[in-house]
Amino acid sequence: MSAVHLAGTTRAGDLMLDVELNIEPGETVALLGPNGAGKTSLLRALTGLLPLTGGRLDLSGSTTDVPGEGVFIESHRRSIGWVPQDCLLFPHLTVKQNVGFSPRATPERVEQLLEVLGITELADRKPDACSGGQAQRVALARAVAADPKVLLLDEPTAALDIDSRHLIDSLIEDRGDRATLLVTHDPVEAATTADRIVILENGHVTHAGSPVEVRTRPRTRYAASLAGLNTIAAAANGRTATTTDGTIVVLGEPATGPVHLVVPPVAVALHRTAPDGSPRNVWEATVTELQPAFDRVRVVLDGPLPIVAEVTPAAVEVLGLVPGASVWAAVKATEITVHPA
Amino acid sequence: MRAPRPILAVATVAVIFISLPVVGLLQRTPWSSLDELLSRDSVIQPLLLSLLVSVIAVLVVVVIGTPLAWTMARVDMPGRRIVRALVLLPMVLPPVVGGTALLFALGRRGLIGQWLDQWFGLTLPFTTLGAVVTAVFVALPFYVIAVEGALESGTDDLEQMAGTLGAEPMRVLRRITLPRLLPAMGAGMALAWARALGEFGATITFAGNLPGRTQTLPLATFLALESDTEEAMALSLVMLIVSLAVLIPMRDRWMPVRRREQ
Repeated sequence: MSAVHLAGTTRAGDLMLDVELNIEPGETVALLGPNGAGKTSLLRALTGLLPLTGGRLDLSGSTTDVPGEGVFIESHRRSIGWVPQDCLLFPHLTVKQNVGFSPRATPERVEQLLEVLGITELADRKPDACSGGQAQRVALARAVAADPKVLLLDEPTAALDIDSRHLIDSLIEDRGDRATLLVTHDPVEAATTADRIVILENGHVTHAGSPVEVRTRPRTRYAASLAGLNTIAAAANGRTATTTDGTIVVLGEPATGPVHLVVPPVAVALHRTAPDGSPRNVWEATVTELQPAFDRVRVVLDGPLPIVAEVTPAAVEVLGLVPGASVWAAVKATEITVHPA
Repeated sequence: MRAPRPILAVATVAVIFISLPVVGLLQRTPWSSLDELLSRDSVIQPLLLSLLVSVIAVLVVVVIGTPLAWTMARVDMPGRRIVRALVLLPMVLPPVVGGTALLFALGRRGLIGQWLDQWFGLTLPFTTLGAVVTAVFVALPFYVIAVEGALESGTDDLEQMAGTLGAEPMRVLRRITLPRLLPAMGAGMALAWARALGEFGATITFAGNLPGRTQTLPLATFLALESDTEEAMALSLVMLIVSLAVLIPMRDRWMPVRRREQ
């Protein structure tokens, strides 16, 4: 029995949502997507604040929202905990009264959550005396205190410092049967916290899979950009493709029509002089920027094919890479993945 | 911000215009005999009656006006505009016309009044209760406008939040909606109370002018003006003091006009 089983449509302003989503009890799913993709609207549909226009929603196996059958369970009868982006703390109640607002919250649970989230000393304050990060923690404690079967978090860590993020992570860890749907912009957070990643674009789920799968086999341009991959729009014509800048790229697999070429930064090889041998795509580029990335350096290149390469710090030294330097870049045709646009 | 000079000048003229009658009143007040005047029964009685009538009227207004404002703001009903126009009518209607209308409806021979009289032996005209009914009639719209405005400009998000936490609609109303509505209710109560206290035309038409029963401060003042000017001055001064005593502590926070947040 799924904690969330949704196969339905709804409308939020100009956006039509048509989403299939399953979340198992105890599972944490990260919902990623560009701005305006419908992430918040999807959460509102689950809370009952945005009724479905078609299809069905079941929560913990009970029929919740089926417009075709005239079934609609109101928000206060759903076992849902919602932490909206703007927290929506009750301004006239103290922190403790906020956390204990739900009729399902017990005093012991409230005390415990205040302690776990490190907000015990704020208990008697009003929300307007809390910082952004503190408000987020209060909103989270309030939602969890209601003992929901499904916890919906809308960018909960956006306003948080590192310490607070750990607190939230530990709360997600200590979840028991509770399912969590986490909206985030941060692919690292998604990969580290979630069991599964769902990508929502323009009201549709474009990819759902494990973090590793989404990172290594991104199905859309957006998914690829999340993982730090290069994505290049081009028109394919058999074994070659022409970018919007007019550069011709040799492909490892034949394709036709508008495509996105995905190139992992590590597949871009840099040389001082024009290389010969197997790489079929070679061009001269200018270094515009160097970005340290853990034990590697990301080299932003300008030229016929604007692209990011990833190399070791030693290579930066040997190749004399500084902003403005000239360098030869090479990509094997087989390293390029082609996605229909 | 610094106001441009022409605006400041006109505003000053307006303040002077508003204060002049007050200054005139204070200047003519018989300060030396004030003690004696204020201890007269003919001053104290109308004062107590006015306070009684206006305070009871405001309580009734809150009890019936709050659900009314909520319904008008939140319930999608047909003929909403007509209902709103009806509710606001007493604000625009000349008070004498309002009093006459009350007489036709609730007078002894009136539409409802005859049944009240026959079944319950209840007569409204020329009774203190009648004065209260009149005050409620004229004051209700002021309260409803203030509260309805606050409801429309939304506690909606917070109410939805409370719902997702499992709070039933009545609990949401009690714990979220009403507490957040308190400032607007306070402003509405002040406006309604001011209107009830100053009520003249409808009261004298419907409830009459019986000392101790329906003769409120404005009625007593008007009457004294013809017989005893000094007493009229004393009565006016009493009303002035009572009104200022309520208005000054309210200041910006409870006034219906919202200041921009800093």
